[in-house]
Amino acid sequence: MVSVLMGICTVSLAQAQTSCTAVLSGRILDQASHQPLPGATVYIRELGTGAVADTNGMFRVAAVCAGQYTIDYQFVSYQKLEQRITIGADTLTTLPTVQLAPDSRTLQEVVVTEYRSEAQQLLQVQTSLSGNALEATRGQSLGESLKTLPGLYTVQTGPSIAKPVIHGLYSNRIITLNNGIRQEDQQWGSEHAPQIDPFLASRITVIKGAASIRYGSDAIGGVILVEPRPMPVKPGFGAELNAVGGTNGRQGTLSGFVEQAFGGKLNGLSWRLQGTIKRVGYARTPNYYLDNSSYHETNGSGQLSYSRNLPSGSTVGTDLYYSLFTTKVGLFTGAQVGSLADFYAAIARPEPLRQPGFSYDLSRPYQQVQHELLKFRTFVRSDRWGMLTFTYARQQNIRREYDFLSFSRATDPELYLKLVSQTADLIWEQKPVKLANGGTLSGSAGFNGITQGNVRQFLFLIPNYRNYGAGLFAIERYANDRWTLEAGVRYDYRWLRAFFLNEQTSTVTNTTRQWQNGSGSVGATYQLNQRLSLAGNLSTAWRAPNVNDLYSNGLHQSAVAYERGNPNLRAEQAYNATFSLEYTGKRLYLDLGLYNNRIDNFIYLKPDSVPIVRQRGAFPAYTYTAVQATFRGVDATIRYKIVDRLTLTSKTSLLLAYARSTDPATRGAHEYLVYIPPNRTDNSLRYELKDANRFSSMYVSVSSQYVARQNRAPAVSQRQEGGQLIFTGDFAPPPPAYTLFGAEMGFTYRIGTQPLGVILTGTNLLNRAYRDYLDRFRYFTDEPGRAIWLKLRLPLAFGRS
Amino acid sequence: MNMFRQSLLFLLPMALLVAACNNDEENPTPTDDNEAITTATLTLTSQTTPVQTVTATVENLNTNADFSRATLTLRPNTTYTGVLSLLDKTKTPTLDVSAEVAEEANEHLVVYTFTPTTGSPASVTVTATDRDTNPAPGPYPIGLATQIRTGAAGSGKLKVVLRHQPNVKNGTPQPGSSDLDTDFSVTIQ
Repeated sequence: MVSVLMGICTVSLAQAQTSCTAVLSGRILDQASHQPLPGATVYIRELGTGAVADTNGMFRVAAVCAGQYTIDYQFVSYQKLEQRITIGADTLTTLPTVQLAPDSRTLQEVVVTEYRSEAQQLLQVQTSLSGNALEATRGQSLGESLKTLPGLYTVQTGPSIAKPVIHGLYSNRIITLNNGIRQEDQQWGSEHAPQIDPFLASRITVIKGAASIRYGSDAIGGVILVEPRPMPVKPGFGAELNAVGGTNGRQGTLSGFVEQAFGGKLNGLSWRLQGTIKRVGYARTPNYYLDNSSYHETNGSGQLSYSRNLPSGSTVGTDLYYSLFTTKVGLFTGAQVGSLADFYAAIARPEPLRQPGFSYDLSRPYQQVQHELLKFRTFVRSDRWGMLTFTYARQQNIRREYDFLSFSRATDPELYLKLVSQTADLIWEQKPVKLANGGTLSGSAGFNGITQGNVRQFLFLIPNYRNYGAGLFAIERYANDRWTLEAGVRYDYRWLRAFFLNEQTSTVTNTTRQWQNGSGSVGATYQLNQRLSLAGNLSTAWRAPNVNDLYSNGLHQSAVAYERGNPNLRAEQAYNATFSLEYTGKRLYLDLGLYNNRIDNFIYLKPDSVPIVRQRGAFPAYTYTAVQATFRGVDATIRYKIVDRLTLTSKTSLLLAYARSTDPATRGAHEYLVYIPPNRTDNSLRYELKDANRFSSMYVSVSSQYVARQNRAPAVSQRQEGGQLIFTGDFAPPPPAYTLFGAEMGFTYRIGTQPLGVILTGTNLLNRAYRDYLDRFRYFTDEPGRAIWLKLRLPLAFGRS
Repeated sequence: MNMFRQSLLFLLPMALLVAACNNDEENPTPTDDNEAITTATLTLTSQTTPVQTVTATVENLNTNADFSRATLTLRPNTTYTGVLSLLDKTKTPTLDVSAEVAEEANEHLVVYTFTPTTGSPASVTVTATDRDTNPAPGPYPIGLATQIRTGAAGSGKLKVVLRHQPNVKNGTPQPGSSDLDTDFSVTIQ
């Protein structure tokens, strides 16, 4: 047996040296609509390698040896297709076009897949969450769901607010695309979580590193793409019900959708209605409940799509999409402090003073946020000219923040911010051109426009403003044999006018600033052999200062800080380099990513100035300051198949971030920044069981998560200067390292013809009391303790032929 | 031709952008704090004859506090009846914050701390004379009405802190958060 295997290896090695230069290409379409399926995967079983279809549904696999192979074609919510092929001596083998049939029944067994995106035409490091890995995160917020991916973290404000962090960067340095639209929901605040219903996504892709070319300036840290499931094409009704229950917070989430595609004369017309409700009570740490940490969410969306093929062979289509996200989030009352003195008193307490029993009550302090999105998209696809898409979207984000009230009976919020954003995009995707030398050229170009108006009321934190932005980009890629090369350029213009009221004279003044800049990116991948590929990318990106960076001037009660903008700040400029290595062996899979992101004029809140004295006492004052920062790190994923059904997965994320000192005495020395994610490693063992009777896709897994102490943090210090106490760095040292254990099991149970997906998850099973460095409430409370989750998913299909 | 069509499609989004603007943001509204305390006044009436009445006021507490009238000039070894008055002058009509505090006395406590100037023998003791209606082990003091006793002559600062202690009031200053934290200068002569 061994000798047979060795024989095969020898043969394939020998072939590798002689005739392994064949390039395999093909196209994957939807069976009913004949539309390309970007993101569909091709996997050659014998070689353990594959590719991902691009926006035209095209794929290529380079360096294939002659021989017989089994190919798997897969895509989320489509039936898997298997094909036997033979590759001869030809250098280019074009496979017949493959058509996948939609499938709402199978529970995808795809785990976290990591791939170099062909789909987005960007040679950048990507990682995504789909299939079972996504189902396992159901019931959690977007930020929390992404935490399972290497290089991703969250900055939290208690258990109810989590913001995604990519390679140490967050807030405005990350762009989130919700259903293709740049989400504009006031991400500048560190306690402003993204307002996206994770149930909308059938796949969440994260581009790690500066990805400005395609998605706009600002994307210094990366891009999160929340990709909804494709609209149905097969005539008939479809539906899905999801129910999630969790013991911690006694929480429950119900989500579902109904969709229909028409046939006959109305062929090409489809609609979907979707909704989610979520209720969460007080979270429980191992020793006490967190007073007022309850929250709820009510979301809904609807989409109407129409597409048809013209006699000329072109396709035209239009979508109308509307979604509404509303949430009311309670903030833990133990973190409410009136002044610096209260803050220090609260930090000194080992446990919160008030420890009530469990409740769903939700009172001040809380945030109430509403995000509305209306999107119109239309496209023309022609076989000669490629595809032209126009998208217009209007978003309205209303944020109300209610503080603790002491004596007034006010019903108004303390902070009201209404941001209306309108975006228009025109994108042209070139039809791939085959060159005489066997290479392929493909690319895209486009325009992005945005305007925003912000209106504030009650307390002043940021001024009213209007901004305009416009960007032009072009990306071209060339693929030949083992090489794929890509280059992109972009130009952006930004205009910002802030309005201020002089309350003594009742006059309005305004200040206008403008920025413009170009950015560029080059990348290459090289397929060394069937198992090993290398990729590298160099890109620049910039971010114009946000209105809060420039003009903040107020007491940020929830952050216990008086924040002051700096109107003279210049734009941030990032230089990002990434390198990655991917090895796909028979048993071992390795993905190693290295990155270095240098950001000049990196803007952050510097806690080093004379405290501000207000009625409630002294507050530390923070000023937005620019430094030269570097973020450098490693993301590694190792998967090893110990035996056929048992897999060990290890994901490690290391990050080093520092700023160069500007102090003349220590010029150039490294200074650490606050809230930089500590090093982390997640390890899990997963055993897959054999299908039995009505049970399929059964697995059990155990996992451990180790988070190191952040030793590279600014020192906690205070000093006297001119009779004033000045605070620098942080308020309390970083919490110690911790290890958490979890377990999960899942299966699909067939009820009649409908498959019921069941996942049972346990987190922090040892009920360990710990604090997390990236939680802004770490000064006041432990993190939540043990939680058991039950997640049910029932797809339904009826009336479909 | 194609170029023309493309440029037309290019202009369309621009036109939409321009057409879709409205200008709410050009008329900013004034700042409005639900819980501003602009003015804190301490009125001390001596329990001796002849009756001496002393008032001291800190203004603009919510922005840049004005301490120019915030000095209490008291007699040594004298007992005064003290009344603390808090106002929010940003509201029309002016909101009497101390009345609101008195109404929600079960979750408020005014804490007075006297610190003599370094080397000064001055002393001031403040005792709250009002009580809330918290159930046993309450009631606890409120501190809007006080008895203030001066000691030796000298000078110092009297810190007045209004603590908000919803559900956690226990008669001590520790629980809760501060709604007011300010200093009055004291001269005893």
